[in-house]
Amino acid sequence: MNVTITVNGEVRSASVPPETTLLVLLREHFLLTGAKTGCDVGDCGACTVIVDGKAVNACLMLAGQADGRTVTTIEGLATREGLHPLQKVFEETGALQCGFCGPGVIMSSKALLDEIPNPTTAEIRNALAGNLCRCTGYQKMIEGVHEAAEMLQSTTTPATLATKTPATPALAALPQR
Amino acid sequence: MADDVMERDVSVLEKERVAPVETLRRSDEALRLPAVAPPTALPLEPPLVPQVGEQTRAVGLRAQRPDSRNHGLGLTRYIDDIALPGMLFAKIKRAGVASARIVRIDTSKAEAMPGVKAVLVGSEIPVNSFGPSLQDQPLLAAPIVRHAGDGVAAVAAVTEQIAEAAIDAIEVEYEPLPGVYDAIEALKPDSHKVHGGDTNVYASKIIKRGDVEKGFAQAYRIYEGRYYTPGIEHAPMEPFTSIADWDANGRLTVYASIGRITLARCDMSRTLGIPISRIRVIGTVVGGNFGGKNEIRHEPVLALLAKKAGRPVKGRFTRVEEFVASTIRHAFTMDYKTGVTKDGRLIARQVRMVLDGGAYCSFSETTLGKACILSTGPYEIPNSLAEGYVVYTNKTTAGSMRGFGAPQVCFAYESQMDEIARDLGIDPIEIRVRNMFREGSISSTGQVLHSVKVKESLENAVKKFGWEARS
Ligand code: FES
Ligand code: FES
Repeated sequence: MNVTITVNGEVRSASVPPETTLLVLLREHFLLTGAKTGCDVGDCGACTVIVDGKAVNACLMLAGQADGRTVTTIEGLATREGLHPLQKVFEETGALQCGFCGPGVIMSSKALLDEIPNPTTAEIRNALAGNLCRCTGYQKMIEGVHEAAEMLQSTTTPATLATKTPATPALAALPQR
Repeated sequence: MADDVMERDVSVLEKERVAPVETLRRSDEALRLPAVAPPTALPLEPPLVPQVGEQTRAVGLRAQRPDSRNHGLGLTRYIDDIALPGMLFAKIKRAGVASARIVRIDTSKAEAMPGVKAVLVGSEIPVNSFGPSLQDQPLLAAPIVRHAGDGVAAVAAVTEQIAEAAIDAIEVEYEPLPGVYDAIEALKPDSHKVHGGDTNVYASKIIKRGDVEKGFAQAYRIYEGRYYTPGIEHAPMEPFTSIADWDANGRLTVYASIGRITLARCDMSRTLGIPISRIRVIGTVVGGNFGGKNEIRHEPVLALLAKKAGRPVKGRFTRVEEFVASTIRHAFTMDYKTGVTKDGRLIARQVRMVLDGGAYCSFSETTLGKACILSTGPYEIPNSLAEGYVVYTNKTTAGSMRGFGAPQVCFAYESQMDEIARDLGIDPIEIRVRNMFREGSISSTGQVLHSVKVKESLENAVKKFGWEARS
């Protein structure tokens, strides 16, 4: 079947077998390997991407269900101007250790901040409830989301401006493979 | 003149050094290449990692991990993010029964399935056993299955789904055997012997200092208790994944998320029957290890499938396989007997522990050794006797995990310490301070200890967790 999605601001299509998940479509057909396969059954959140503004487990969504929708992956967060505040803060606070859960956690957090710009700790915990991490103990991630929320609200940071103005269509800065 | 040339060359080099990223971008646009990477200027400023000639900025500063930037951008290439041209996907059929003899395996239906490129059973493996100390673990069980996670056959196919369907199509007939599922049961003379022979005990250790009986005779009170800790799965977020790839000269390259490259090469050389010099292992960024990625799991199976199929093969454990077919932390049953003086000094301690090793040895010997050495705790005890045994059971193999036995014995001796303190009416911190190692203390193994900082550490911790203020 043919699937066309807008991924990170770009319209892309692929012809895939009907059982293909959105995760496999992104990773194997579009070579966007940022979303990870941790369990493939919806338990761990390592595959989290944003579909039409909502954080979803890409391993639980069929590629066909994503047809015509807008998908943002971890690869679509940073711009040429710099890192997304979440990426910046996570790297500074040590919220990423082995990093395998990172893309999923960042995407869940981004979906939260897009909806609730100034979330409470309970709201952050709730938003990250579906993202397992075996290394960090979550504390630094929660602090990081608070910090990123503050950064995003002080509109002067160039990174904030950058996320609000959609970047020019993605170009290959480095070959992925 | 010569100087001029030098200068010109240098400036050309300089220019080239700054140009590539932008140049690449422009040419991409012109060529309309499929754009996949993020619109990120690389490297990003300011660089996190010290640059050439720059002094490391880490000393005295809060350290940042140099790899987090790549992690956060989704650019870190873990093993599962690597794909080779023509790569097949492998699946291993797990026994699902804990103790049995394989009577018959019929792989014909799987072999006939379109998209299936290779099928492998245990009898085809040149040397079907591996392990870091005892080589008692088969790659694919043949003919005895010793735990439910034992692989019995493997398939490589063009997609993961086809491989999955193909292992379902493999028919295996088992003759059930008796089993043993408890470490204490496994010690009994009439228990089922997992590896045959006349005992399930496959490693033991005794560490002795002084004379415990004399110590107990002098003790004011003696405390006895049994402590138990369960098995624990490492559950790293990244499942075991590897890719095996042969070249036409018969050299094997394995990409794997593995911590011990040379051990992996040794095990592969043994099982595949080829010299170690023909095996290259590329360790990829590890998505969580916790001690569970210290040895090979399915790599020789992937290599043999790749050889049969003539194409690279990737295998990735499912989350269920992570629990049943990897290794776990040993479950410990520990008997502690401790003699103390009236003022709370430990004068004799006897420890007996039984480790549930599961079906195969793996890192059991190492774990047992460390557990016995540490079983008396950070306390100076003049008379001690530690005895440890690891036994086979028909359960998931226990292997290395952070601490190699240290957390288990720590749970036991610290639990008992609290019981003693409560009974004698001594403050739990105070009783530890009275007994702990100091400069020049002799450990249970007879080692004289130097640079001992136990007291300072405990005092610091006490301050930090507000012990004084407790209610
Ligand atoms: S891979 Fe999707 S939730 Fe684990
Ligand atoms: S950083 Fe390793 S799993 Fe989260």
